[in-house]
Amino acid sequence: MLQYLIILLDETSTSFCHYENTRKERNLIPLDVLKKGIRYGMMENLMIQFVFPKYDLPQEYKDEVETIDHSKIKPIADEADVWVADEPAKVDGNVPVVLRVSKEVLFEKENEVVEMLKSVPRLNIVLTDVETFTENDFTRYKSLLERVAAEVERMYVDGKSPQINLLTDRMMLSAMNNCGAGDMSVTLAPNGKFYVCPAFYYENEEDSIGDLEHGLDIRNKQLYKLEYAPICRHCDAYQCKRCVWLNRKTTLEVNTPSHEQCVVAHLERNASKELLRNIRKHGTFLPEKEDIKEIDYLDPFDKRETWQ
Amino acid sequence: MNSIKNITFIVTKDCQLACKYCYLVGKNSKERMPWEVAKQAIDYILGHEEDFREESVVWDFIGGEPFLEIELIDKICDYLKTEMFRRNHHWFNSYRFSFSTNGINYDSPKVQEFITKNHEHLSIGITIDGTKRKHDLNRIYKGGAERGSYDDVVRNIPLWLKQFPHGGTKVTISSADIPYIKESVLHLFSLGIREVHINVVFENVWKEDDDKLFGDQLIQLADEIIDGGYYNDYSCSFFSENIGKPLDRVLYNQNWCGAGMMLSVDAAGNFYPCTRFAAYSLRSKKPIIIGNVHDGIDKNKLRPFLTLDRTTQSRQECIDCEVASGCAWCQGENYDAADTATIYQRATAICKMHKARVRANNYYWNKLYRKLELEDMREEFEKSKPKSNDLIC
Repeated sequence: MLQYLIILLDETSTSFCHYENTRKERNLIPLDVLKKGIRYGMMENLMIQFVFPKYDLPQEYKDEVETIDHSKIKPIADEADVWVADEPAKVDGNVPVVLRVSKEVLFEKENEVVEMLKSVPRLNIVLTDVETFTENDFTRYKSLLERVAAEVERMYVDGKSPQINLLTDRMMLSAMNNCGAGDMSVTLAPNGKFYVCPAFYYENEEDSIGDLEHGLDIRNKQLYKLEYAPICRHCDAYQCKRCVWLNRKTTLEVNTPSHEQCVVAHLERNASKELLRNIRKHGTFLPEKEDIKEIDYLDPFDKRETWQ
Repeated sequence: MNSIKNITFIVTKDCQLACKYCYLVGKNSKERMPWEVAKQAIDYILGHEEDFREESVVWDFIGGEPFLEIELIDKICDYLKTEMFRRNHHWFNSYRFSFSTNGINYDSPKVQEFITKNHEHLSIGITIDGTKRKHDLNRIYKGGAERGSYDDVVRNIPLWLKQFPHGGTKVTISSADIPYIKESVLHLFSLGIREVHINVVFENVWKEDDDKLFGDQLIQLADEIIDGGYYNDYSCSFFSENIGKPLDRVLYNQNWCGAGMMLSVDAAGNFYPCTRFAAYSLRSKKPIIIGNVHDGIDKNKLRPFLTLDRTTQSRQECIDCEVASGCAWCQGENYDAADTATIYQRATAICKMHKARVRANNYYWNKLYRKLELEDMREEFEKSKPKSNDLIC
């Protein structure tokens, strides 16, 4: 069920996910389109998430944004509900941070990432090149997750409750909690058209799923739902982003993840399993949650013969 | 069960014919497979034995008309045999070369030399659509003169059946062919062809009342087959005991089509999950290329094909259908007809034709079994009845 409307306030709105926004030319969403978008969100009972550019918006835009309950996604600067960073750095402020990094930056700046985790209420790490992971990268990523998990465990022992999506989300979840683009959320672009998510807009503006005048027209919308994703519906890496844009990019189908996506998500899942087990050695922790079970695969695709 | 890999060389996109129902919308005389591409494809496939674990292989040659490239095919087959032996590949001595031909140059010296040389490992099907008027309705020469090809094909049938006595033919039914189904199947039987694989096209070509006409033709055919006693020695794939039943959504959830488990390679060296995903087969979608002879196969692009099941791609109406079994689909046509670029939307253009087939099929088996029981021949028939395969593409 649709719950969220993401509104890109400008052509250069910051990327907060896997896609790159390479557009440099400022192009604000027309004010009347913004107003109609907000009105649409109100009428459809959608929670609106505004994605801001790096520059300061004109006052009339700021005023319009405040006419509706919403979340603000911004580059690290001023007041927001979610900050987006492209480099690990210590942050001042009680705001969850999305850290977009390549695998190499993550591997090289592991210590900075841990320090960042200590300074924010929640750290969402988005790997911007997950589709390029090699066997060697998987090995390095597994080791990195183990080391970061050890830090997280220490923080828990010290009485803190750090949140890092790669490790702590799976401990808390009992079902899939993925991106939901096309199913739970859609995006309104500055051109007044709807898209599955910002990545679909930036990749191809012709790829719209409706507009403000005629409403949404999501063809084959069932394919964005978990039940229509043969691999994912058999999976328990509940924290996986399950990015439908990356799915389409790598496998040509929005409902089918790549091998790399699955393995990365399972390395995280398995690291979460160990983290949960280790934290529990120090005392009662999430007593209502069962242990994360041991599995013998990293890609559910490899177990497809056993699916019923 | 012996697992089989089907690997198709699209050796040419040219054909002498311009059949009206042909799904190959982009045929041309320019795209002929160079030997170097064929060799690179073979080297890649045989060099990656770990990715091709099926016990046996069918090397399939398709066009256009494959026998237009008989010299290339001969060279490919020689190289395949040599390389499978040299590499001690597990497919050596577990392979076939397969052809579906329009039969026009079947008796040419080069084709005949090739047949003699490879006969033990050959499967060849000649496509003949039935009576002259039915065949020539669709299977015409290119060039716009509406010249039918029946006479040039039928003259080669005796030679073909002498060399391949169990050879079957594949008949395709489009809207205009419906009135000729009965006479065509009986005609093929009369030519000595014992297995007639026949199916309606998957494309959305059907007119109002086509299902009624189709059903009438099948009932008439059923009467002829049963009253004429053909059922003992001949088979027509329209009549199958396994069709027309509901399908459990869990137990019978497998995909119908083998796209993705097959591999096709074209003249440019691109790999496809099936020939139907090559550009020349598609009306309205981009080709699905899953790799090439230089870079190999992108396994990520095969994942949707290999995890595709019946219910995920079907509408609820199809999942709940009480006559679902035997209702076929072609993944390529599904993709081509889909509202978005997906293989996960099942085309249902043949729905009413399938239902008409099921009704006629019920009639056939009820009538046949009653006759056999009255003649006290049922048990004997069960032991020796011809097996019909639902060959659909």
